[in-house]
Parts: sequence; C-alpha cells; structure tokens
Amino acid sequence: MKHVSLLLYSCLIQYFCSQGQLDLLRNSSGLLYRLKDAQSASKVKGSDNQEKLVYQIIEDAGNKGIWSRDIRYKSNLPLTEINKILKNLESKKLIKAVKSVAASKKKVYMLYNLQPDRSVTGGVLNQQCFKFLQSKAEAARDSKQSPMVQRNSSFANSHEVWKYICELGISKVDLSMEDIETILNTLIFDGKVEMTIIAAKEGTVGSVDGQMKLYRGVNPIIQPTGLVKTPCGLCPVFDDCHEGGEIAPSNCVYMAEWLDL
Amino acid sequence: MTAQEVRLCGLLLQEHFGNVVEKVGTHLIRSGVLTLRALAHETKLPLDLVKKSLCVLVQHGMCTFGAGRRGPAGPVEYRINCERVFHMLRYPRYIYTAKSLYGDTGELIVEEILQRGQMTMSSTVKTVADRLTHNMPEGQSMDYSEVVSAFSQLVETHFLQRCPLASAGSSSSGAVDTPLPVATQPTEPESHPDCYKLPYINLTGQGKRRRSSEDGEADQCAAKKCGDDRIYWQVNFQRFHLHFRDQAIISAVSCKLDQSSSEIVRTMLRMSEVTTPAHAAFTQALSANEIFRALLSSYNIARPILDQYLSLLVDDPMEFVGKTGDSGGGMYVVNLHRALANLARATLESVVQERFGSRSARIFRLLLRKRHLEQKQVEDFAMIPAKEAKDMLYKLLSENLVQLQEIPKTPDYAPSRTFYLYTVNQLPTARLLLQHSYKTVGNLMERRLYETKENKRLLEKSQRIEAILASLQATGAEAAQLTEVEEMITVPERQQLESLRHHINKLDSSENQVDETIFLLKSYINSTQASL
Repeated sequence: MKHVSLLLYSCLIQYFCSQGQLDLLRNSSGLLYRLKDAQSASKVKGSDNQEKLVYQIIEDAGNKGIWSRDIRYKSNLPLTEINKILKNLESKKLIKAVKSVAASKKKVYMLYNLQPDRSVTGGVLNQQCFKFLQSKAEAARDSKQSPMVQRNSSFANSHEVWKYICELGISKVDLSMEDIETILNTLIFDGKVEMTIIAAKEGTVGSVDGQMKLYRGVNPIIQPTGLVKTPCGLCPVFDDCHEGGEIAPSNCVYMAEWLDL
Repeated sequence: MTAQEVRLCGLLLQEHFGNVVEKVGTHLIRSGVLTLRALAHETKLPLDLVKKSLCVLVQHGMCTFGAGRRGPAGPVEYRINCERVFHMLRYPRYIYTAKSLYGDTGELIVEEILQRGQMTMSSTVKTVADRLTHNMPEGQSMDYSEVVSAFSQLVETHFLQRCPLASAGSSSSGAVDTPLPVATQPTEPESHPDCYKLPYINLTGQGKRRRSSEDGEADQCAAKKCGDDRIYWQVNFQRFHLHFRDQAIISAVSCKLDQSSSEIVRTMLRMSEVTTPAHAAFTQALSANEIFRALLSSYNIARPILDQYLSLLVDDPMEFVGKTGDSGGGMYVVNLHRALANLARATLESVVQERFGSRSARIFRLLLRKRHLEQKQVEDFAMIPAKEAKDMLYKLLSENLVQLQEIPKTPDYAPSRTFYLYTVNQLPTARLLLQHSYKTVGNLMERRLYETKENKRLLEKSQRIEAILASLQATGAEAAQLTEVEEMITVPERQQLESLRHHINKLDSSENQVDETIFLLKSYINSTQASL
C-alpha cells in the first residue's frame, strides 16, 4: 500500500475511528490502531460519543468493574450525565451493576457478559476464614489441656478473623468487620462453623454493643446418609420410575453403572 | 398405608414367606380388617391355604386377630401390623447387634427366634447348642448352661420378652370366659407382669452333633419334659430400636465434640436404659455424682474434668444434654427428642447436599434456620448471585423440599402487592424423604430379584456342579475327576457368576444402608407424634 499517500491514510483512520470501527491505542513507540471486531462494533453503534466513552472506560476496567465516581473522574463528565448514560447502557444490556462484598451499598459497573472477580464476591475469602478457624480448633485439640480451656481457645471472635484476613492481604478491596461477619454467616449456613454470642465489656476489642460474636469450626454430626449412597437417592427421574414402565428398576441405566463400579 | 409402603410390604412378605402369604398379606393390608371367609373369597385361594398363611403371619406377630365389628358373637377379624413387616428389613442389624453385645451365642439365639417368630426357651437352647456344636472341631460340644446364661442375659437387658398370651378359647383352666380383645387394640407384651421372668426349667446336657441316622422325634419327646411348655419368647424390637437410637446419639456427640464427651453420654444412656419409658422426651435426671461413680475407670476422667465436660455438653448449641437442677453436683438429662430432631435435620441436609450441590444445601440450611425469607434476602444471606439463587430455589421448590408462602398486602392477591416467602418445614419434608426411602428399598429389592431371575439358569448349573463336587469328595474321588467336574463351568460363566455375586452383595448392603435412613426418619416422626 505504498502508493497511498499519508494524508489519505490519516483521513481514512479518522473516518473509521469516528465510525467506531478502529480502536486508538498508545504504545511506547507511538500510536497504534486496531480493528475492532464486528460484534462489539455493532453494539455501540446506536450510541453517541459520550456513551461510547463511558463504555470504553468500563470495558477497560475489565473483571474488577469500576465505580461511578471513578467513571466521572476519568471522563470528566458531570454526574447527571453519567447517571443518564449508565441507565441507558444498562437498559441496552451492555453493562451490569454488581454488588461488591466490600461495601454492600456500592455498585461497580462492568460489561454484561463478564464474571465478577473473586475478590468482589468473596469466593476465596470463605475458604480462608474456614481454614483459619479449623487450624485454631485443631491447635486447641492438640494442646491437651482441660476441656474448658480447649474449647475457649478454639473460639475466635470476629475481630481476630478480620485481622487475620487483612494481614493475609488476599483481598484487593478493603473489608470491614461487617463484611467478615457476612462471610462467616455463609460458613454457618454451610454447616462448617458455629457461632455463639457472649456478653463482653464495652471497652474490649471487637465488641459491639456489649456483645461479642465467637466462631468455631465444627464437623458435621453424621456421615452422608444411606439414601444418597444409592443411585435412587440422586436419580433425576425418581418420580417417573415404576415397575413395568419405561423407567424401571430392572432396566435402570444408573443402577447398571453403579453395580459395575 | 401409602402405595410405596404396601409395595414394600408385599416384596418383603414374598421374599421371606413366598407367594401365597404375600397375596394374602397384601390383600389384607389394602383392605384393613377382614374376616377369614371374606379374605378367602376375595383372594380366591382355597380356605386351608389362607388359614395356613394367617398362621404364619400370626406366629411372627405380624397379624393380630380379635373380635370384629359384630362384637364377640361375630366372626373373628384379622389385621396386619405393617410396622412389624418393615422390621424384617432390619433383621441383619438386630443379629449383628446381638453378636457385638453377647457374642456368637447371642447372635444365634436372636437369629433362631427371628426365624421362627416365637419359641420356647428349651427348644431355643437345644437348637442353638446343636448349631454351635456343629461348627466346633471334633470332640468338643457346647454345654447347655452356656446357652442358658446367654439367654438369661438377653432377657435381663430386655432384648427378649415373653409373648403376650392369646386369650380365651385355648385357656386350659376353662374358668372364666374372658372376652376376646378388640381387634384394634393388641395386648401390649409389657402389660404382662411376668414379661421378663425366666421360667425355671430343668435343662442339662450338651449340644448334639447332627447325624443323618438320628431320629428327630427323640428330641421332641425330651422337650416336653422341660417345665416351660406354654411360655414363648419373642424379640423385643422396641428395645433394639432404643439401642440403635442411643448409638446414633453417641456417634453424633463424638463427631461434634470429642471422644470423652461421647463416653460420658454413653454412660448416661446406659444408666437410664431400663428406667426410661420408650417414648420419653428426656432420660431420667442423673446427678453428676452418680455419673462419676458409673464411669468406667478406663476412661480416666477426673471429677473436675467431668464437671467441665458436662457444662460443655450443656452449652453446646445442639443441646444434647440439659441441666435440670443443682442437687448432687448438678442434675443432667439427655434430650432425646431434640437429639432425634437434630439427627433428622442433618439427614435432610445431607440429602439436599448430595443431590443438588453444596450451594443449594447452603440455601436449604439458611431457610431451616431463618424460617421465612424473601428471594432477595436469600440471595443476600447466602452470597450467591441472583440468577443462580433463583434457579436453585425453583429446583428445590419443584422437588417439594421448599415451600412458598404468600402474604398479601391487599385483599386481592395481586402478584405485585404480595410477599412471597420461602420456607422449609422439617416434619413434612422428613415424611416425604421417608416415602422416598421406602420406594428406594423397593427398587433395590426388585433389581435384586430381576438379576437373580436373569441368571437363573447359570445359578442352577453352578448349584448342580457344587452338589456333584460335594458328593464326589465325600466318596473320596481322585483329583482328576474333581478338576474335570470343575471345568464344566467355563471361565466366562465363572466371571459372570462372580459379577452376579458382587451385584447382589452390593444391592443387599445398600438396602441396609437405606434402612438406617429409614430408622432415623421414622424415630424422629414418631417422637413428634408422641409429644402431641
């Protein structure tokens, strides 16, 4: 393409950029141009420049998402405009708002089809909290002291857990004690942790309103029950099964597989 | 009687007693109460066959009879006790428990009585001694006194009991015409004052080795000379069930807390074994002093440590043990009903977890704890994204494990102005799972019967070959002849036989496993009914 003049090049690039089919990127050696693929190009076709700008900022945030105030700083647009654009984009299903585990009132925006990052939903945090509590319980059990002391040392209050998680530094957002308590609640609903509330003096560390919540790792009280060790216990077509029908114990595929294990 | 229960009863009766008894039994279950004539007419079986089947069922305690609707003058009516038929599923567990508590002798005693339904003490002792002698090396034989001592131990701990007397008609005294009990109320064996009293019998001797030349009639004449002609013994199923319940509670405590706590709970339960009534919500109050005295020295628990363990047990959220007073160092009881409710709850949670995944289990536990929640609240508490939470909730709803409660804001139930709350009710869900378990056991039994039927030809062939081998060995044949006979079964057939054996064993053991679930759920449901 040597014989095309530089002027024509720059005009074409300008045209394609305004059409939204070329991406403008800056490299250490100069400016780079990249062809946007057709799908993403068609998505923002109906919107005007401001919306395209906001969409770009959100896209750049990637997995983590971005807060509306940060969008305002980056685009220099007034707040009302930002809100209108965000609502518009949301209704067009181009972006979505995800609630952060860090602050439950704060909404971060990210592209519609992306999965929110773990640090936002607290997937890894669950396991870390549980491991901490479990190791504490094991240390207490091995210490071979009197049972009362053993049990008390296997407890951890919410403040200790919060400190541990902060020190670990695995979370990219700042977590408060309430967030840790929410995470610990999910562990309670998983049946891995139990909680007791004791009265504590006002001044002690970690107490809220004269109470302190203590958490302890526990084991389940029974082994998986007998019913689920059979294929019938897990069968998706259990209700349709009867002797003499299409699905019957005598010709059951799941049973045949299970018997040959 | 639900359809699944009737089906399971039919399968059990067929397996243990054959087709005729199954037909009679199933028909009687479906119809409720029937007279002999009506039963014979409706099943279209000859009268003497019906009579014999009813005899078999009565012998095993599964059928009761009594005065019918027309009063004492009318024909006798019969009804089947379905619970008793389900106990047949649990026979292996009873025998195993007897073995672990009282050794081989106890195991054989319980096995014999379960097989025959009711037996006199002397005949039991003789049969068991003969069986044990048969398995002993040559020259040794089992003394009757050992078997008698095992028998008396079983009676002392209430595992065996006397059968309640059948009234009127057969009474030899012929004094007063005692009216027949109404068919709806069978006489409780415990109401008999001598329920657990051993008869004084004159029984000495040793077990005889069974030889083909011996005459069986000689034994029968000897039996009549013992003093317990009309005293029959049966297995006390309720006592075995209490024992299983105690075992479940002890293992739950040891999983949740530690070994020493479970030993303390075991001691407490052992002390109140025979004094606590069957359906009580709590055991008898035991003082800490008594518990300390009853603790075995092998556990090596000092007094202050015991106090600490007891207070830990009381403080535990599961509430296995409760404190009712302060006299004697503290009065403690085991909360039986609460423990059963916790065990049933853990069973429900484990079923949901295995079937639907751990996140659905999280939602299920959340709803069990917090009772009623809106969909939004479920998502918040469980920290599950909205789309997935909705999907899981609807799946649980379609399987009837979770219910929806509507609370309207306005008198017309407009959907936009109504609260929709999700909730889990433990008792109806437990009943649902119990029916599922019955159906599962029925499926496993049918599969086992099907597998046996498919390979019937092969099984018969292998049986014939074994018989030939045994007879050849008895008459002392050469090794070459033996190998020739063995080779009549080809290698792929041998493999098929092996896999068939493996399948049937697996199906059998899984029936026992599902029976454990049935036991927990049924105990829980019974405990809620008793407290009403």
